[in-house]
Amino acid sequence: MRSQAMFFQEQAAQKACDPQMQKTLAYVRPLFVGKRKKGLEGLAADGLGFEEMRVACQEIRDRVVDNLDVWLELFEARAQATGAKVLWARDGDEVARLLVDLARQHGVRKVVKSKSMLSEEADLNTAFAAAGIESIETDLGEYIIQLAGETPSHIIAPAVHKTKEEVADLFVAHHGLPRQSDITALAREARGVLRQHFLSADMGVSGANFLVAETGSAALVTNEGNGRMVTTLPRLHVVIAGIEKIIPNLQDLATLMRLLPRSATGQSISNYVSVLTARGGLALDSPVQGPEKIVFVLVDNGRADLLGGEFASMLRCIRCGACMNHCPVYTAIGGHAYGWVYPGPMGSVLTPLYTSLKTAQDLPQATTGCNQCGAVCPVGIPLPELMRALRRRTFEEGLRPWLERLGYKVWAWAACHPRFYHWGVRRAVRYLKWLAGGEAFIRVLGMAPGWTGGRDLKAPPGRSFQELWADRKNRG
Amino acid sequence: MRVALFVTCLVDVMRPSIGFATMRLLEAAGCDVVVPEDQTCCGQPAWSAGEADAARALAKKNISDLAGFEYVVLPSASCAEHIKNAYPELLAGEPEWAEKAADLSKRTFELTSFLVDVLKVNEVPGDFHGSITYHDSCKGLRKLGIKQQPRQLLAKMKGVTLREMGESEECCGFGGAFAAKFGEISTVIVDRKCASIRESGAEVVVGGDLGCLLNIEGRLRRRGDPTRVLHIAEVLAGEGQ
Repeated sequence: MRSQAMFFQEQAAQKACDPQMQKTLAYVRPLFVGKRKKGLEGLAADGLGFEEMRVACQEIRDRVVDNLDVWLELFEARAQATGAKVLWARDGDEVARLLVDLARQHGVRKVVKSKSMLSEEADLNTAFAAAGIESIETDLGEYIIQLAGETPSHIIAPAVHKTKEEVADLFVAHHGLPRQSDITALAREARGVLRQHFLSADMGVSGANFLVAETGSAALVTNEGNGRMVTTLPRLHVVIAGIEKIIPNLQDLATLMRLLPRSATGQSISNYVSVLTARGGLALDSPVQGPEKIVFVLVDNGRADLLGGEFASMLRCIRCGACMNHCPVYTAIGGHAYGWVYPGPMGSVLTPLYTSLKTAQDLPQATTGCNQCGAVCPVGIPLPELMRALRRRTFEEGLRPWLERLGYKVWAWAACHPRFYHWGVRRAVRYLKWLAGGEAFIRVLGMAPGWTGGRDLKAPPGRSFQELWADRKNRG
Repeated sequence: MRVALFVTCLVDVMRPSIGFATMRLLEAAGCDVVVPEDQTCCGQPAWSAGEADAARALAKKNISDLAGFEYVVLPSASCAEHIKNAYPELLAGEPEWAEKAADLSKRTFELTSFLVDVLKVNEVPGDFHGSITYHDSCKGLRKLGIKQQPRQLLAKMKGVTLREMGESEECCGFGGAFAAKFGEISTVIVDRKCASIRESGAEVVVGGDLGCLLNIEGRLRRRGDPTRVLHIAEVLAGEGQ
C-alpha cells in the first residue's frame, strides 16, 4: 500500500470537522475503552495483575526479538519438518509476487482471505486483481470495505467508520438482494454470500497472530469463524506473517492470550483460537481436516532494520489496537487520516519506519504526549518515547521547515541567556496584553492561528512574574 | 529548608499569580523560598520538538542554576517531569552531568506532591467556597503518580465540595505545540473535556498545569461556557475567590 501519510495534516483536520465521523467515533470510543477495562477486571478476578502479565508478555516478545535470526531458523526447520513450505519476502511487492506465483502454479482462480494487516502492506488484493485472480475478504469488516473500495480504518475493526446504513447500501448494490436494515440480518446476508466463496475457493490466505517456533505452526485469534473456513476449506493455504511474529512455544501462546483479547476487545478469550500446522505425513484421506498444502511467507518489509536499534521494542507489538482505542488523537480523527496500514500511535511509529520518515514526519508530531498508549500497551512498548525519538530524528535530518528549526534555535539560545530572554518576555507580555485590547481574552492570534481557530487565549496581565517579583523585592 | 521556586516559562508569561500563590503555599509550610533570578524554561518544548541539543543546553543551564538547593518545586507536573526524567536521559552520555542530573531529579517536585509527600502538610493557608472538579494532567498522573495529592489538599479546605468529572484522567488535548500545530484535532479532544466538566456540575475546574488550563479555559470561553478555571496553587493559597 502506498503511503498517503504526507497528507495527514489536511486529512486529520477534515475528519476532525466531519460531523458523521465525529458521531461514529464518539459512539465507538467508550465501547473499546470500557470493554478493555472490564476485560482487565476479569484478569484481576483470576488473581492476575496487569503489570505482572505485561512483564511476562514483554519478556516473551523480547526473547524472540533479541535473537530473531535463531528463532526464524528454528521456525523454518520445524515448519518444514511438518511438510510446510517456507518462503521469504523482502518487501510487500515480493509478497504479492510470491502469492500470485503460488496461485498460478496451483491453478487458483479464487482466493478467500481472512484478515491480515500484512496483506494491506503488500496491497495483495490489487496484485491478485491485476493477475486476473478473484480474491475475497471474508472478515465481515474487511468484506465491507472491500465492497466499498476502501482501506481499513482500524486494525481489528476495519469498518468501524461505517454506519449500518452505509453497509446496507453497499450490500444492495453488490448482492442484489432486498435491503436489510438490522445488523443481524446484514451479517446473515454476508454469511450466505461468503459461504459460497469458501466452498468454491482454491486458495486461502491468512495472516498469523503468532508463529509458534516449537511446532512450526501459525496461531490465529479470530471471532467470526471465517478464519477457520479460510484455513481449512481450500486445498492450498498461505500464511503471510511478519518475521517478528514468532514466539517460542505453545505455553507462551497461552500467556500472550491472557492479554491479547482482553486488550483488543475485552474478551477473556476470542471465539476462536486456531493453531494451524501442516499435515506432515498424514494421508489426504485421513480424518484430519485441512488443506493439502501450507505455505508460510515470512516478510521483512522494514522489520529487520529495527533490530538492535532504538526502535526494536516496536517489534514486540502484538497488534491488539489498545493504543489507538485509548489515543485522544486517533479517537478524534479515526484511522484513514494516518495514510497507511497502521493507524494510531502504533502507526505513528511504524509508518515512518516502514515507509519513509520524510513523508510520514507529521505522524509522530501529532501526539499530545499523554502516554495513554504507553500505559495500556500489553507488551510495554514505550510509544510516546518512540514517537519522540522519531521527532528527534526528523529534526536531526533537517526535515522540519527551516523557520521552525530556526525558531527553536533562537528561542533556545535566548533561554540560555537570561538577561536577553527576560527582556524578550517583557516585550512579549506587553504585546499580548495589547492584542487583547482591554478584553480578558485574545480571540485571534496571528502567530498561532491553530490555537485561536478553536479557542480563546486568556490575556496575560501585562507584566511577567520576574518583573513583578523584582518590584516586590525592591519594595522590600 | 531552602527551596528553589521554578515558576516555569508559561507562568512567568501568562499567569504570574500562580507563581506568587506557590510562593505563599511554600512559605506557609515553613520553607525558605528562593526564586533563582536566571531561570527561563526547563527546555521541554525543545525536547518535545526533537531539538535535543537545545534541550541539553537548557538542562545543563538549569542543573547549574539549581545546584545547592535542598529542593526545587514547580507549579507544573509537566515541567517537573521533564527535569526529573528527561534530564538524566538527555545527559546519559556525559557521566559528570548525568550524575548531577540524577541528583537534581531526586530534589525536584511538583507542588502538590511536594506539599503532601515531602512536607506532609496538615493545613493550607487559603480559603475557598464552592464546588470544584479536578482535571488530572497527563504527565503528573501517568509519569509522576500524582492523583490523590491535590485532592487531599482540597479536602483540607472546608468550603470546597469536590465533584469528580467523568474521564478526569483523559487528556485535554493541549500537548504543548500540539494544540497550535493540530488545532482542529485538539479542539475535538478539548471539547470532550469541556463536556465532562459541564456534566460534573462544578463551578470551577482546577488543575495543576497551566498549559492544560489555558487550553481548557480558552475552549470553554469560545463555547460560551462561563465555568471558572483555576490553578491548584491559586485555590490552595486562597486567591481564587
